[in-house]
Amino acid sequence: MDSFFIGTGVALCLLMLLTLHRAIRGPTAIDRIMGLNVIGTKTTILLVIIGTIYHRVDMFVDIALAYALLNFIVAIAASRYFQHRKNLNPKGYGFRYRSEGEK
Amino acid sequence: MTAVVILLTLAGLIFFSATTIGILRFPDFYSRMHAAGKGDTLSSLFMLLALVLYNFHEINLGNLLVAMKILLIVVFIFMASPTATHAITDAGYESGVKPWTKKPEEESP
Amino acid sequence: MIWQLDLSVLTLIVICAFATIMVKDLLSAAIIFGAYSFLMCLLWTEMGAVDVAFTEASVGAGVSTVLFIAAVYQTSRTVKPRKSGRGLAKIFALLATLLTGLVLLIAEADFPGFADLSSPASLHVSPYYITQTLHDTNVPNMVTSVLADYRGYDTMLETVVIFTAGLAVIAILRRYKKDQPFTPPEPYILSKGYPDTIIRFVARQLVPFIQLFALYVVAHGHHSPGGGFQGGVILGASFILLAISYDFKTVLGIMNEKWNVLLGNLGVLIYAGIGFLCLGLGANFLDYSILSKVLPATDRVMARSHGMLGIEIGVAIAVMAIVISIYLNVVSRGKYDKGL
Repeated sequence: MDSFFIGTGVALCLLMLLTLHRAIRGPTAIDRIMGLNVIGTKTTILLVIIGTIYHRVDMFVDIALAYALLNFIVAIAASRYFQHRKNLNPKGYGFRYRSEGEK
Repeated sequence: MTAVVILLTLAGLIFFSATTIGILRFPDFYSRMHAAGKGDTLSSLFMLLALVLYNFHEINLGNLLVAMKILLIVVFIFMASPTATHAITDAGYESGVKPWTKKPEEESP
Repeated sequence: MIWQLDLSVLTLIVICAFATIMVKDLLSAAIIFGAYSFLMCLLWTEMGAVDVAFTEASVGAGVSTVLFIAAVYQTSRTVKPRKSGRGLAKIFALLATLLTGLVLLIAEADFPGFADLSSPASLHVSPYYITQTLHDTNVPNMVTSVLADYRGYDTMLETVVIFTAGLAVIAILRRYKKDQPFTPPEPYILSKGYPDTIIRFVARQLVPFIQLFALYVVAHGHHSPGGGFQGGVILGASFILLAISYDFKTVLGIMNEKWNVLLGNLGVLIYAGIGFLCLGLGANFLDYSILSKVLPATDRVMARSHGMLGIEIGVAIAVMAIVISIYLNVVSRGKYDKGL
């Protein structure tokens, strides 16, 4: 049963890698926040899975509980940011500097 | 019991895969948000239920406490994750993200 | 140590680190750094360092990313393009980085392996803690007892460092207006901000649970991962959640600036005061076993346990006040008028 949970954990890591692709390449910043949120949920579950593999869930479940409670603060803060500053400019916010012509 | 655990975990993994495919493949922000908000919450319910069942193999106080805590995680994820989805979607709407349409004349504003 | 998970999480961490450096949008860099913090917590959990992972979880999810977003909100979001024509400096920087990496790789060969039983740390110090902690202090979680009892000086000065950081943020950012006297806002009255009912309702439901969980973390730190620092950060994060979802003034109505700074002082004072109490009773500084003279119905072993609980409470109070103070100062540029 342990090997099954290890396989589940590796599969979750693989899915996390695909989500990370969206979080890194995502065209706008809110796509990145969405990716961060999904990664946070997967982290919560992976923590409990790691505890199950080590047979000491009672030591690990508190961390997962903290994540479940605190995970959405970042999303709310970022949404407030965009309600104040509405510059969701997809141009020039990627992996290169803004060139001279673009605003 | 083991069969139920494996079944629930696989169901959770399938929903997570659907979420990830939706996040990667959907055309615009709102539909991606739809995939992320729903699939994520439901699949975490499945996987955490599987973990509760697996950890509750014998009844004593410590196992009961752990099971209650994992169920609390489910409750908090069910409260917090849709709120985060709503907040992010609201931010996108406020800052003027255009929804994706099939008509080509509306694609280039 | 599960090598499959280790390998996958490490790959993700390296990708995250590169992306954080490469991306030019500062808000996106802060968000990807949040993902990095999640993965770091996973790695530490997976290596068995549960207390460190708890610290990373509470700080990374609750405070640090929000502080980055607040700083970006008050400053600028983009990086200035660097001027070209610095080829020599770039080559020099690359050489220096490669050289440092080479030196670190050479030094890494001398380290003992992971969980090596014949390494010096496992031979002299660790066996004492592992075998004698429960007998000495009656605390099952030996990380707590090492942090708060055997290495109490370190932890006290770490608390002082956090306190100094809070003082520095106040000294740099806080701007008092002379002509306008500060009128305290009426507590619990919602001002007109962004009346988002869903977020406010969920925050109102969740904040008591977060604070209760923080108190549990502080009190249960003797038996499970957690302790004063983690509990204090989670308490501070609950106030940050209130400030974000409701209004800046709501938090100021509950905890105004004077009380906040006073609480920060009080936390450090509790820690140092317990140390001086031990000194006054005739033992060494922070030697809690002498407290059995003062505390009723405790022997010397239980007195050490209770002394640890006392300083954990002090650390929690100090950290909570400092976290709230740093957030309020950063998000309002020290003007305390409006925040995110």
